[in-house]
Amino acid sequence: MRFGFDEYIHLGSPLHRWDPRYKLIGLLALIFAFSFVSDLRMLPAMVVVTSAAYIVSKLPVSFMLTRLRYPSFFLLAVVLLLPFLSGETIVMSIGPLDLRQEGLAAVLLIATRFLSILTIGLVLFSTAPFLTTIKAMRALHLPAILTDMALLTFRYLQEIGDYLHRMETSMRLRGFRQRRVSIHGFRILAWLGGSILVRSYERSEWVYKAMILRGYGQAESLKGEFQASYTDVFALGATLLIAAGFVVGDILI
Amino acid sequence: MHIPDGILPASVCAAGYGATIPIVWYSIHKISKEGDPREKIPKASLLTAAFFVASWIHIPVPPTSVHLVLNGLLGVVLGYFAFPAILIGLFFQAVMFQHGGLTTLGVNAVVMGLPALLSYYVFRLGNILRKDNNIITGVFGFLAGFCAIGLSVCIFLPILITNIPSGFDVSTERAAIYTLALAHVPLMFIEGAFTAFVAVFLQRVRPELLVRA
Repeated sequence: MRFGFDEYIHLGSPLHRWDPRYKLIGLLALIFAFSFVSDLRMLPAMVVVTSAAYIVSKLPVSFMLTRLRYPSFFLLAVVLLLPFLSGETIVMSIGPLDLRQEGLAAVLLIATRFLSILTIGLVLFSTAPFLTTIKAMRALHLPAILTDMALLTFRYLQEIGDYLHRMETSMRLRGFRQRRVSIHGFRILAWLGGSILVRSYERSEWVYKAMILRGYGQAESLKGEFQASYTDVFALGATLLIAAGFVVGDILI
Repeated sequence: MHIPDGILPASVCAAGYGATIPIVWYSIHKISKEGDPREKIPKASLLTAAFFVASWIHIPVPPTSVHLVLNGLLGVVLGYFAFPAILIGLFFQAVMFQHGGLTTLGVNAVVMGLPALLSYYVFRLGNILRKDNNIITGVFGFLAGFCAIGLSVCIFLPILITNIPSGFDVSTERAAIYTLALAHVPLMFIEGAFTAFVAVFLQRVRPELLVRA
């Protein structure tokens, strides 16, 4: 089981070279500024900034399209429901259904915000190794319990995913049919979940001992792991200005 | 039950983070009081990964199949680690599968994590009766799973429906909330039963995995 996370970290764009700490602050500020936008007239600017960031990152369009596969169900539901259910001003009638102006405006706002935030999120987490991004979070003083847990969870996610895959395969080979509905089948699926927990727990006892042997718990310094240049600081300043521009623009318009 | 990016106004997203920070602080405070937290981090992390993976198990519900949330079971197994575990799990889901969102991470963590903490307390009530009895473990496991999803739905639906930028009137909103809440009742029973079966399984195989404090 592979997540294809670090597939494009070698591309070498300016966004790949940006110090992960500054990139995290800058792009998260931009993402939150996008979520602040509620005026439709700000949406073209949002699309321009998002497209520019994606083009500069050199990430392929096909990558974004594959990542859109899952959330597209949500978008489809919004596009199909809101224009017919929300608002009072009827723009057009299609049979028994009335297309409403307020619903259309809401769809446009939600879909643009959603796609823009999703795209900037992809740029943020696909232009540096994922573990480096988590270390950057630790360097930004996120509690060690959270960052250590995130690092270890990520480290073992694929392995435990493979456990599940192997156990499901052996269950099928022994004649278990997952699609059949019965209390017995349901209990077997619960035992499958329980077995995953027990195996992971047993593994964690070894992992902890190995970590202690390697010095886990000693004071660790992240100094020297990240070094920001003037370009990094300038890029952060520019991104924060753009983010502030969206917030101020939305208030003033 | 994951609210995606773009759907909630910034003020609600900020309120979600505002609520998440004190809950994380409370959880870390409680974890630290129980001894050296570093000792428990590998266990909590691998179990977080295991929960993430276990939520991929398809449960057949004709004519389709569902994935479970498992926040009640998280509370039953991880105790005060449940909220940080859910926060991390939601972060991975948002980043890896674009399921949920980064701006809505705080809100989603409250929707899933607060009920997980509640289910931890519900499950602990069973200890007052008898710790090693399978029936009591099963009953309180069911209650933990059932209540966790029920509370999640009660938090999730009002947040979602009252914050969609739309012209719904109050009665339509109320009807939507009631209808969708009723639609989740079967899921509450499924989660409750699944949590009960897993809790009894763990009671037999690895009883130290269940929170007993």
